[in-house]
Amino acid sequence: MGDLGDRVNVMGPQPMAKRSEIPAAMLEAARRVLEGLAAGDATGLAALAVPSGAGELAAVAAAVMPGTYDQHRIIATARINDHHYVKARLHGPRTEAFTVQFRLGEYAGEWRVWEAMNLTGKRGAWAR
Amino acid sequence: MERMIAVDKLARPDNHILAPLERLFQARVDQGFSPTNVMPHEEDFLKARLHGIAVGEMQAMEAAGRTLFDFPDAPWEFQLDMARQVWDESRHAEIFIKLLEYVGSFLGEFVETEVLWSCTQIDDPACRVAGINRGLEGLACDVFEQIIRLAQRMGDAVIERAVDYVLADEITHVRMGSKWMRKLTEGDPARLKQAQDFQENIDNLFNFQGGRTTQEAAPQVPIEIGGRAIDFDATLTIAREARMLAGFTDEEIDRLLKAASRSAAY
Repeated sequence: MGDLGDRVNVMGPQPMAKRSEIPAAMLEAARRVLEGLAAGDATGLAALAVPSGAGELAAVAAAVMPGTYDQHRIIATARINDHHYVKARLHGPRTEAFTVQFRLGEYAGEWRVWEAMNLTGKRGAWAR
Repeated sequence: MERMIAVDKLARPDNHILAPLERLFQARVDQGFSPTNVMPHEEDFLKARLHGIAVGEMQAMEAAGRTLFDFPDAPWEFQLDMARQVWDESRHAEIFIKLLEYVGSFLGEFVETEVLWSCTQIDDPACRVAGINRGLEGLACDVFEQIIRLAQRMGDAVIERAVDYVLADEITHVRMGSKWMRKLTEGDPARLKQAQDFQENIDNLFNFQGGRTTQEAAPQVPIEIGGRAIDFDATLTIAREARMLAGFTDEEIDRLLKAASRSAAY
C-alpha cells in the first residue's frame, strides 16, 4: 500500500504513534556482513556472529564465490521484537545475484548475526 | 494450475521478509520471550498483533480462494460461500493494513510466517472448512474480542469499531464452516470424525503451550499502550460469547479451554 503522505491537514483519525526507527547501527552491521560475504572473509564474518549463529553464517559464506560480487543491496528489513531480519543481494558483473537473509540482534553491546539463510535460487524463506 | 499448492508458491513482494515459524520462535526465545505469540506485556504488542492479523487475513483470503479452486466438484453454494469469503478477507486485509498505519506501523514491519497455510494442506473440503473456518476463524474470534476489549480500555473507538466490524464477518465464516462440515459429511460419520480431528489438531496448534485462559481468569498486568497506562490481560483469552454467536457449542468451548490449559503443541 502506498504512503498516504502527510496527514496533518487531513480529516479523520490521525496515527496514534510514530513508526519505529530502523537502528543505524544495525544497518551498519548488515553492511559489514555483506562486505564480508562478498570478500569471502571467513574470519571477519565469524567475529560478526553469535556462537549459535556462526555455523549458518559460515555455510552461507561457503556458498559465495569470493571475488564474484562487487556490489550489495539491502532489499528489505523486518523485525521480531528487537531483532531485525535483513534480506539482501550481492551483485557481480558476470553472474546471477546471490540472495541472503540473516537476523541481527544485539549481543554483548554489538549487533551480531543470530541466523543466516541462503535464499539464492529459492522462491523465499518458506521454501523447504 | 496445480491443486493443493505448497506455501512457497504464494506470491509475495520481493521486499517482504518471510521466515519459517520455527525461526520466528527461535528469534523470540533468543530475546527471552516465550516462543509462541506476542503477548500484551510486550512493548510492541499492538503493532505486532495487528501485523500478524493483517498477514493472517491475506493468507485467509488466499486459503478461501484455493478452497474454491481445489474442489471444483463441491456444491455450487459451497463455492459461492468460498468466493464470498475471499471478498470478505480482502476487505479485512485492507482494514488491518490501515489500522497498522494508525498505530504507527506498516505492512512489512514484522516478519510473516507460513503457519496458517499449513491448515490448508488437506484434500477434503469438509476437513478444509473445519480447519480454516472453524479452527482458524474461531481463533480469530478470540483474538478480535480481546483487541476490542483492549481498545475499549484505551478509549480508542477507531480500533474498537474497525475490529468489531471484522469480527461480525468472522462469526459468519465460522457458521459457514460448521454448516458445510456437517452437510458435506452427512451420512458419513467417519468423514465427519476426520474433519473434527483435523480441526482439533489446528486448535491444539494454536493453544500456545497452554497459555490461554478465559477472559475472567486472565491475570491483569500493567501495560503502556497508545500513550496510556492500563491494566490488561496477560494471556490470550478464549471468547466464549463470540464463539457461541458463531455456533460453537458449550461442550466444544469447554473442550477447547481444557485443551488450552494442558496443551503443549510446540
